[in-house]
Amino acid sequence: MAVRELNCLYEPCPIPLIKAVKELKTMQCGDILVLRSDQSCIGVIVEEWGQQNNYLVRVVDLENGEWEIYIQKP
Amino acid sequence: MVEWLKKPWPYWVGGILLGIFNVTLLAITGTVWHINTGFLTWGMEILDFIGIKVYDWRFFKIFNYTYNDIILNHNLFINKYTILNIGVITGSLIATLLSSQFKLKRLKDKKQTILALVGGIIMGYGARLTSGCNIGSFFGGIPSFSLHAWVYWIFVVLGAVVGTKILSKLI
Repeated sequence: MAVRELNCLYEPCPIPLIKAVKELKTMQCGDILVLRSDQSCIGVIVEEWGQQNNYLVRVVDLENGEWEIYIQKP
Repeated sequence: MVEWLKKPWPYWVGGILLGIFNVTLLAITGTVWHINTGFLTWGMEILDFIGIKVYDWRFFKIFNYTYNDIILNHNLFINKYTILNIGVITGSLIATLLSSQFKLKRLKDKKQTILALVGGIIMGYGARLTSGCNIGSFFGGIPSFSLHAWVYWIFVVLGAVVGTKILSKLI
């Protein structure tokens, strides 16, 4: 079970999700992608996307204007 | 209470609040909310300062309802649109600070800067053609029963679809 990090700091809203989807396509089942972002909307849209596509998503608010979003490929 | 401040509010709550504020603004001041227009007035003064005869342009005769007061009183930098823009920035700052999400951000790399500049110029150009962008044209136009706002709406959606396809290729 590999863990990959994707740093999307300073990138405006839909771009971290687009990059995460592209990255997840190249990963194996069970792998985890850690997405770092500083956009407040990202947690919500990744959770919605995860629900629609059956990916497990966990959003961690780092309380300094940054978020870490853990996405596991089913 | 803290949960409320940190999580984004549902779209319908935002929609209703924005609608109420839009009507209130029009009722109290007689002004329709515009954002782009505030930046246009700055640009006008800067161009005039370097010698370009901006105020003779036909554009300002056609749209004299919006610009006449501002041009005649010569308050290109501090006017009602500038105040509204400052209000938006202040309000967003308060919301961000209340939810402990404040962070100074920077430009990530050259590609992002160029994409943002090109996109911004195209948006600004389009906004002048349609008397406003999301706020001035769509948000102000549709409640005013202006036909141009519906035409704008259809084509801004199409433009967003095309833009998204281009963006996915460029990232």
